[in-house]
This record gives sequence, structure tokens and C-alpha cells, in this order.
Amino acid sequence: MKVLQWLTICVLLMPLSLRAAGPSLPLESANNDIQDLDSLKRGAALFTDHCMACHSVKYMRYNRIAADLGWTNEEVVEVMSYGQDRPVDHVMTRMPDGVAMNVFGTKVPDLSLMARLKGTDYIYSFLRGYEYDPETKSWDNRLLEGTAMPHVLESMERHGSEEAFAQAARDISNFLEYTGEPAKLQRLDLGWKVMLFLLLLIVVTYLLKKEYWRDIKH
Amino acid sequence: MSSNQDQPKTSMTRRKVLTAATGVIGATGATFAAVPFVSSWQPSEKARAAGAPVELNISKIQPGQMVTVSWRGKPVWVVRRTPEMIERLGDLDDRLRDPNSLVSEQPEYCQNPTRSIKQEFLVVVGVCTHLGCAPLYRPAVDSPDMAENWQGGFFCPCHGSSFDLAGRVYQGVPAPTNLEIPPYHYKSAQVIRIGEDPEEGGVA
Amino acid sequence: MASTQQTKQNSLLAWLDARYPLVSTWNEHVAQYYAPKNFNFWYFFGSLALLVLVNQFVTGIWLTMSYKPSAAEAFSSVEYIMRDVEWGWLIRYMHSTGASAFFIVIYLHMTRALLYGSYKEPRELVWLLGMLIFVVLMAEAFMGYMLPWGQMSYWGAQVIISLFGAIPVVGPDLATWIRGDFIISDATLNRFFALHVIALPLVLLILVFMHIVALHKVGSNNPDGVEIKKLKDAQGLPKDGIPFHPYYTVKDSFGAAVFMLFFAFVVFYMPTGGGFFIEPPNFEPANPLKTPDHIAPVWYFTPFYAVLRAIPDKFLGVLAMGAAIAVLFAMPWLDRCKVRSIRYRGLSYKVLLTIFLISFVVLGWLGTQPASPELTKLARIFTATYFLFFIILPFTSATEKTKPVPERVT
Repeated sequence: MKVLQWLTICVLLMPLSLRAAGPSLPLESANNDIQDLDSLKRGAALFTDHCMACHSVKYMRYNRIAADLGWTNEEVVEVMSYGQDRPVDHVMTRMPDGVAMNVFGTKVPDLSLMARLKGTDYIYSFLRGYEYDPETKSWDNRLLEGTAMPHVLESMERHGSEEAFAQAARDISNFLEYTGEPAKLQRLDLGWKVMLFLLLLIVVTYLLKKEYWRDIKH
Repeated sequence: MSSNQDQPKTSMTRRKVLTAATGVIGATGATFAAVPFVSSWQPSEKARAAGAPVELNISKIQPGQMVTVSWRGKPVWVVRRTPEMIERLGDLDDRLRDPNSLVSEQPEYCQNPTRSIKQEFLVVVGVCTHLGCAPLYRPAVDSPDMAENWQGGFFCPCHGSSFDLAGRVYQGVPAPTNLEIPPYHYKSAQVIRIGEDPEEGGVA
Repeated sequence: MASTQQTKQNSLLAWLDARYPLVSTWNEHVAQYYAPKNFNFWYFFGSLALLVLVNQFVTGIWLTMSYKPSAAEAFSSVEYIMRDVEWGWLIRYMHSTGASAFFIVIYLHMTRALLYGSYKEPRELVWLLGMLIFVVLMAEAFMGYMLPWGQMSYWGAQVIISLFGAIPVVGPDLATWIRGDFIISDATLNRFFALHVIALPLVLLILVFMHIVALHKVGSNNPDGVEIKKLKDAQGLPKDGIPFHPYYTVKDSFGAAVFMLFFAFVVFYMPTGGGFFIEPPNFEPANPLKTPDHIAPVWYFTPFYAVLRAIPDKFLGVLAMGAAIAVLFAMPWLDRCKVRSIRYRGLSYKVLLTIFLISFVVLGWLGTQPASPELTKLARIFTATYFLFFIILPFTSATEKTKPVPERVT
């Protein structure tokens, strides 16, 4: 019976090691750390400069970003919206409605949940996935061929160091992981405390069970 | 427990101690677990955002005119009082319930006879302190639809409470306290910001 | 002092007891409910299922306070809960993790019954009621998964409701009737919300109550499959029984604490369960014009989903899937062996049950994978072995070579 118990536990843990199969384009690992607040701040600033002209993160509020990343309300609207929005406002794109359809011929997706949908590795690889085609004299992306999105980090790739380019892509990916689930910072911080408490509860209930079960003769 | 009398005494003590310990730890855990459920009833970020401070340009308000703005879903009145109105406020003390606003709700910087930062402008929450109706604005002395000897002020149609032009409640009406003054400050000479205290405690 | 307090307490109790069967109920079902003393690891899952049920009720009630059951607002109201409502994220993760935990616990609970023959005479009704709970739970989970109104919510519901369309003659009309529209829409979402938060929880609660009443009428089985009521002492109490309270209340408290540790780990450190508990495509709002690249139901439906896909005919596939669940109801009559516990049963049952359990797990894995010719072949093999268990069992179990069952529990 012991064997069966272990087998059960193994079967229970098995799905955790298997990931649901997805498209098999090779992705680079973003290696981002959501608890690195400096990276998140850089990511927010980069996002403002390179993404927000078209993309929104409509489920985020500026004041939430400020509270989580360690900015004041004044700082966050200064950095992310040049003082144009109130701290309680949602992070919307600066592009008026309908412009995207005219310019790009498509809708521009909201990026609030992109990291949860595609993963940070995808975002990181996508930002770094642009290839120049000398024949058509245009950029295309190896992850999404024919994408309407321009190569927003082009100047960084051309003029910056490889390291700075990678770091910029990593910081943006990191920031988008944060916007996908802002509560993640609290979650990671609270989890181990709850688990420690439950360990204590396990110890006392185990002792209590042992104590009572001394009555039972086998 | 009675069936365990054959157990040695020490074990019974141990049993009681362990039961108590489990009970205490379990109750502590239950209390902590209740925190998220209780605090999730607090106003959400959305509600707080809707309750964010509102700004109003007061330069266009005529003397004697009242303007209503919505703050946290409640009406806030801004009245530009004439010098005569301000003067009359001083004569009413013996007819009021709380003339010095001792038991009423207002920021410290408005606990004065005119209940304002600048005497000229009254900023007040337009919700009757009796049961939450919105009183009517009757600024004129001896308004035809008001009682005799009316000195100008606010009248609540629900249960007849009346207030003077500083939102102070009269004696002998159901409302218990003066109208509430919200936190506000002057962002500039023309703009007031309602819902936020002045930065340094005084007039900003 | 103490004694007057005691008297006061007793008189209050007497007053209550004269008007409500408080003491007798407590005694009958807890303090003097005699359970076999040899329960093992497998016997934690009944009480754990009850714990998860309570978790789902409480967190579910709290979620309805902020959730909006409309196609226009559902998705963003979930994000509202995740971001703007204080602690909303925790309550939501407790509910979504609870759904998966419910099925883990229930599947183990059912495996226990198969191991120790807990469905056999006189416990057939306990088993049948349990199976009903399982079916209602599947409906409950399916409707709950639709509420976030993401791509998986939408297309999962689309596929499952289309299954009804496979029924000859009335199928298409039936599917339209269930949807209340010609596609999955606001009307569908709204009625599923009503069923998910009111109707089905009520049915579940009643069934769970009946399940426990039926169990307490006949008494619990145990890993030896010995009937403890047969051997009683001078007071008429089962010799191998012990009062549920305090012995199993303390034991189950320990089990609950261990369970909560695992539960907390998932809630705080892997709330999407590696893409199995909350699937990534569900972070995109429902879009009736675009199907995700790969749709798979949530993990707890995948064994049955794999059976559906294994059959190359729409209607037969639906029938096979239904049969895979329905055939479990017949277990008490398909298994004709008098010996309950696997400890004393013959080799044939051990082999058959092992093959069955392996088939179930493999089918579950196959159901998460995109269909390919090789995997479909595999799914057919394991669908066959899944059903073979129920086909062969009536024949082998009648003439099974069993070991002698002990008089008393070991």
C-alpha cells in the first residue's frame, strides 16, 4: 500500500512538471526578476517612451504603479504621462481612438495581460526578434511575420551595446509581467509567512492527534 | 474525556495543553484568514478613484450665487457670500444649536464663525445631517416660501431642518449638527480643490 | 461557582434539546458515531472535500460581490477583482485553486472506494449519491470556468454545448435552448451564472448532506473491508470502532492542516497551476471570431475529453464520453466479488484496477495535448482499456480467488 501512496503522489505532481504544449518557436529566456524594483522602474520608463504611443495597459492605475514600485503619485505621472493624467487614472495610450486603424490597418492590443497570455519570454524574444530585410528595406519579426508593429527598440539595437539592448528588452518584459498581475509582489511576499504559520499548525495538530491516539490499542 | 480515566494524570495535562494550543493557533489562523474577507468590503480602488479630489474655478461665481459640484458622489456646494450675508452670520448665535461648531464635522481650519478658509466662499457638503436629504438654497432674507424672520440659508424639505449661510443648524429642528465641511484648499486664487487638505495645515 | 455555571449550561442545553435534537444529532453523527479505528491515508479525502466545499462557498460568495455577469463586463470585472478590490486577488485564487483541489480530492476519494470496495453492499446508495455529487460538481465547475469570459471560457463552453447538438433529431434545438441564443452570448453567461452561484450549490449541499446521512446509516467501510458492526462488546459498541470525536476530529484536523499547506503553496506560488488550473489563453477576453490555436478543457475534464476525441464519430463520441462517466454508477453491481478490500482480493482485480487507473491518468494527459494521429491511436487504446475494466469485471469478480478476510481489522 505504501508503494501505491507514493505512486499517487507522483501522479499528482506529474502535471506540474509538464507544460501545456504551445507553438514551438524557439524563445529566448527573459531571465527577468519581478522583485527587482529598479528594473521595473526602468521598464516603466522605457514602456512610456517606446510603447505607450500606441499601447495601453488599461487595467493599471498610475497610483498603483507608484505604490508598488516605490514612486510618489507625483513622480509616477511625471515619469509616465508627463503630468498629463491624474494618479488615479488608468494607463491609457496617447493615441486617439481610430488612429491605429488608419495607420497600421489593425487594432493595437492592450498590454495589461500580455505577459500572462504569452509569457515574458515571448515578449522578450519578440522585442529582440526583428530582422532587417535589405531587399524590402523593412523590418520583420521572426515570431510574428508581417506584424504591423514597428521595431521600437531599433535605435537601441543599432547604436547601443548588445547588453543595453538586452537589458532594455528585459526591463520592458519585467514591467509587463508586473502589469499582468500587480498583486504578484504581495503574493510572493505573503506566501512563505502563511506557509510557516501552517507548518506550526501542522506540528500542534500532529502532537494533538498523537496524544489522543495513545488511547487506541492496535 | 470521561473514558480516559485510566490514563496517567500527566497525559491528561498534556492533552489539555495541546488542545488549548491548537485552539489558540487555530483561532489566530481563522482571524488572519478573516482579514481579507473583511477588508475586501472597503471602498475599492475604483471607488477611491471616483472619490478623488475635484477642482473648481471660483472666479466666475457671482456674489450670492451657489455652484454644486459632485465629490465622492455627494453634492458639494460652493457659495460666494456677499459682505451683508457674512455680516448677518454674527447676529444669529443665540438662535443656533452649535454656533461655534464644537460638535460638528469640519476640518480644523474651518472651525471658525464663517466656517471657511476665506470668508467670501462657503464650501459645504449638501447633505442634511438629519437623514441625508439635500436641503434647498434660500439665500434671501425673508424668502416668501420660508418661515417668518428668515435670515437666508438652507432649508431641508424632508423634515424642515434649517441652516444659516455658514451651514450652521438652527435650534428646534431635527438635524443634530451643522452641515459637514469637506477638506479643501485654494490651489490658486481662482481654483479650489475639494477633497484634499491644504499642505501645511493652514491656507494654501 | 463552577457547578452553578455547569447547571446553567445544562439547563440551557435541556431547553434547546426539548425543542431541537441537538445533543442526539451531535452524538449520533460525531461524538458517538463509531468509525473503524484503522483508517489510513486514503480516508482523509472525505473530510478534505468538505473543507474545500466550504472554501468554495465562502470565496464564491465574496466573488459575486464584485463580479459582473454580463458579456460586456465579466472579463474586466475579474481584473477589477484582481487589482482594485482589496485582497480580491487572494479570494479569486482561493476559488480557482479550490476548483482544481476539489477534483484532486474527489478523484482520490473515489479511488479509495475502488481500492477498498466501499461501494459494495450495503453502501450502494453512498456510492450512487457520491457519483451524483461528482456529476453535479462537473457541471458546477464547467459553468464556473465560463464566468471569467476569457477565450478558454468561451470556446470551452462552445465545444461542450455543441456536444448536445450531436444528439439526433433534437440536438441542434437543444443546444440553442441551452445557450438561449444562436451563439454563446450574454444570455448564456447570465443563466450559467445563476446556475453556478445558486442552483447547483444548493443541489450539491443537499446531495452532500444525503451522502453523509446514508454513510452514517450503514457505517464507514475501512481498509480491511471488515464490517465492524458484526463484533460488539458488552455495551453494544463495535470492538474495532472508535468515536469519531475526538479521535477522527483531531486526525482530520491534522490532515486539513497538511492539505492547507499544499493549498497555500499553490495559491501563493503557482496560482495558474503551471497553466493547468488557469489556462493562459483565458487572459484574453472572449472573442467569438477567433478560436485559440489549441483548446483543451481544464485538466479535470481531460480524461473524458480524450475519450470523446478518440471516437471518430460525433454522436458516438458523445455517447462514449457519457458512458465513461455513467458506467461508474454501475460499479456496485458490476463487481460481484464478496470481498471488499483489495488487500484480500485476487490478482485479477488488482491487475484490472491498475490498468483502469493507468488508463484514466494517461487519458487525462492525452486530453491536454493537441490531437495528432499517434496520440489519437494511443487515446483509442486507453479508451478501450478504460471500458474493458467494466466489461471484464463482472466475469472475473464472480469467480475471483480471494484471500481469507480476517475477523477483525488489522
